[in-house]
Amino acid sequence: MKGTPIEQALAEYTAAAQRPAPGAQPDTRELLRAFHPDHDAHAKVTLQVGPNKGDICHRQVAQLLQADARIDEADLAGSPVTETDVLVIGGGGAGCAAALVAQQQGARVIIATKLRLGDSNTVMAEGGIQASIEKDDTPQMHFDDTIRASRQVVDRELVAEMVSDAPDVIRWLIQQGMQFDLDDYGDLMTRRAGGTSAARVVYYRDYTGLEMMRVLREAIRTSDIEVWDYSPAVELLSSESGYCAGAVISSLKERQHKLVRAKAVILATGGIGRMHLNEFPTSNHFGATGDGLVLAYRLGARLRDLDSFQYHPSGLAYPQHLAGTLITEGVRSAGAYLLNGRGERFVDELQPRDHVAAAIIRECAEGRGISTGSGSGGVWLDTPSVELRNPGLFEARFPKLIQLGKKCGIDPRHQPMLIYPTLHYQNGGVVIDRNGQTNVPGLFCIGEASGGVHGRNRLMGNSLLDIISFGRRAGAHAAGRAHDRGHKKISIEHLSNLRRELTLAGMPLDSKGPLLFPGYANFENDSDYAGLRKNSEREGMQ
Amino acid sequence: MSGNAHEIHLTINGKDISAPPYLSVIQALWHAGYPRVKSVGCLEGVCGSCRVMVRRADSRQVTTELGCQVLVEEGMQVNFLLFPTPTHHRYQLDEIKNSWEVQARFHQFFPEAEKCRHCGGCNTTCPKGIQVEKGVELASKGKFREAGELFGECVLCNLCQTACPESIAPNHVGLFSRRVTAYFHTRPSNLIRRLERLRKGELQVVT
Ligand SMILES: Cc1cc2nc3c(=O)[nH]c(=O)nc-3n(C[C@H](O)[C@H](O)[C@H](O)COP(=O)(O)OP(=O)(O)OC[C@H]3O[C@@H](n4cnc5c(N)ncnc54)[C@H](O)[C@@H]3O)c2cc1C
Ligand code: SF4
Ligand code: SF4
Ligand code: FES
Repeated sequence: MKGTPIEQALAEYTAAAQRPAPGAQPDTRELLRAFHPDHDAHAKVTLQVGPNKGDICHRQVAQLLQADARIDEADLAGSPVTETDVLVIGGGGAGCAAALVAQQQGARVIIATKLRLGDSNTVMAEGGIQASIEKDDTPQMHFDDTIRASRQVVDRELVAEMVSDAPDVIRWLIQQGMQFDLDDYGDLMTRRAGGTSAARVVYYRDYTGLEMMRVLREAIRTSDIEVWDYSPAVELLSSESGYCAGAVISSLKERQHKLVRAKAVILATGGIGRMHLNEFPTSNHFGATGDGLVLAYRLGARLRDLDSFQYHPSGLAYPQHLAGTLITEGVRSAGAYLLNGRGERFVDELQPRDHVAAAIIRECAEGRGISTGSGSGGVWLDTPSVELRNPGLFEARFPKLIQLGKKCGIDPRHQPMLIYPTLHYQNGGVVIDRNGQTNVPGLFCIGEASGGVHGRNRLMGNSLLDIISFGRRAGAHAAGRAHDRGHKKISIEHLSNLRRELTLAGMPLDSKGPLLFPGYANFENDSDYAGLRKNSEREGMQ
Repeated sequence: MSGNAHEIHLTINGKDISAPPYLSVIQALWHAGYPRVKSVGCLEGVCGSCRVMVRRADSRQVTTELGCQVLVEEGMQVNFLLFPTPTHHRYQLDEIKNSWEVQARFHQFFPEAEKCRHCGGCNTTCPKGIQVEKGVELASKGKFREAGELFGECVLCNLCQTACPESIAPNHVGLFSRRVTAYFHTRPSNLIRRLERLRKGELQVVT
């Protein structure tokens, strides 16, 4: 990358409390079209099979949606079957909220999760969660901001439900035992997020997700909900009448497949960051590989906005081994400027994320960035200016940032940090209704794996809200199915259709989904898990 | 700064590994081509999954740390700890009728907490430098708010639970302390006022 070398940029940098406003700004649409990775023509393909046949989709996501399954009928013979009312797949915030509510309503619940309970994007969230609670704010304003940021492609009903739920979501979290930052009178503190018209983000220091996740995890662990950890779902099960009737779980502990027969299944598998779309680094946890999309799609669930992803403006760009690590938007909300290689502001820092990310990519592409000398680069996040205006703020509010600074050998109070956009969030996902129900009966989907709530761009703090709002709704509705009679026959019949369609469309059957783990973790070559691979393949290998 | 700086030699889970100095021990395993999916989570030091035992070349002491946060060092020996055992403590917050009862109920839910022998094992093992032992003591005395504050950065790695000879589950004592504080004492008037207006139907959203 061309640009000012980092050593020179650092030498030229001086901290200042105030800086001149950026020059005239281009229209958001034009900026996005020219510089946002979603608009990269090479990254898009048209889906050839499945419920979204004909729709535009990101190339890497399409590859997984149109891949063969990890298992065959033959692999299931002899696998133990467990029965339950509600099976929750994914132990992040959304899954835990759903499980707690379903259990509270009397359902028997199993929660199966790929890694440890709580290893998730939820635990990493820093900035906070949105709820309109201040005097000068209303759910309507929250709605309007969300719609505006979404670029209008959004399910308005879902947004209306979510913003109306928001204050009660915070109450529910407090009743689970979650702490928030309070002022001297015990009121919730609020701060502004990019793209919002009022201070609406509530938070616990910069550990909002950690606090939320540990409270929900604790609530689950001290309850009677059955937790299966190290248990990724690799396929859903269908009933003779086309319902979702459970799932096939690959137990990494027992190294065998296990079947769960359930009256309702809630998919809460989170996002796609570890697919490293367009080779971007990511802020996401290790298990964010888009599995839920693949599982749901094969069973016939419709997806939406599969070409729209969020690149968070402030991913760490230097040092390299930490590339992609998120710096919370809270820092920009607190007033940090963005500066290019010339030390100038170039964008209104509180514009929505896609706008700010595209502006950073533009500065770097046009040679006004700061180069690290090894191909990468970025712009300054001007943290010292905030410290000058509000001494002590970082220590009190952003302990995690100070920690991160230590790992980089930087004190953000005195030195700016080099940032570049990082792959952060899957905007689209499985189509759902207000109760998290998909178009496949018996199958619910919630959280980052679902779509329609954030349109093509998500506001900070709306995701933590989304996962609890729809998590509770889906939990309650899934529990409502506990009185149904169970499914007689469970099978993976739908895979025959998939393979037929793939063959008809002339698609290769050599790749498998869901991905489960990023390639660099070498899961596919791990001899420990040979027993979890297809029989047919194992024979082929001998 | 450059990628081909000299390599570091260490052993991880008994395997000899070379890796550039800027990698964490998890990244080093991957770099050397070894598979690893267990004990990997956020890769950012907040989920507590990647628990490792570390012995450095110049020391006989074994420490417990978070593998995603430990950079490789020459002669280091690293072993991953797998699958922490979940706590056996069962309780529901709504079993506690009111805040006068918290202390009595605490001792029912966590009968071992009183038996702390102040061995300090939990403090030594905590990768976050939390004063775990003090937290247990404060909670036993009914000082839940103070106890809970000590655990603000706890990542629930369960190392203190493993270390405790009395099966106290100190991290869960900390979490209990935090949770009852919110459950009984967080009553923000701005939130309550808003809930009241919503209940009266005053704040409908027009789509
Ligand atoms: C660094 C970071 C900071 C963020 N900050 C904020 C913020 O300040 N405010 C905000 O609102 N949002 C924030 N977000 C976004 C938000 O945290 C997530 O979108 C949200 O928590 C997703 O919750 P979830 O429950 O849907 O998914 P997750 O929390 O990711 O949970 C998904 C779970 O499913 C499991 N899983 C995946 N595949 C399978 C499978 N095949 N079988 C079984 N289990 C599986 C995963 O292991 C994981 O445990 C942030 C995200 C990141 C990464
Ligand atoms: S208090 Fe215990 S569980 Fe929490 S971080 Fe420390 S050792 Fe881990
Ligand atoms: S390890 Fe257990 S017994 Fe020892 S000080 Fe900590 S809580 Fe007390
Ligand atoms: S992987 Fe989460 S703390 Fe290390």
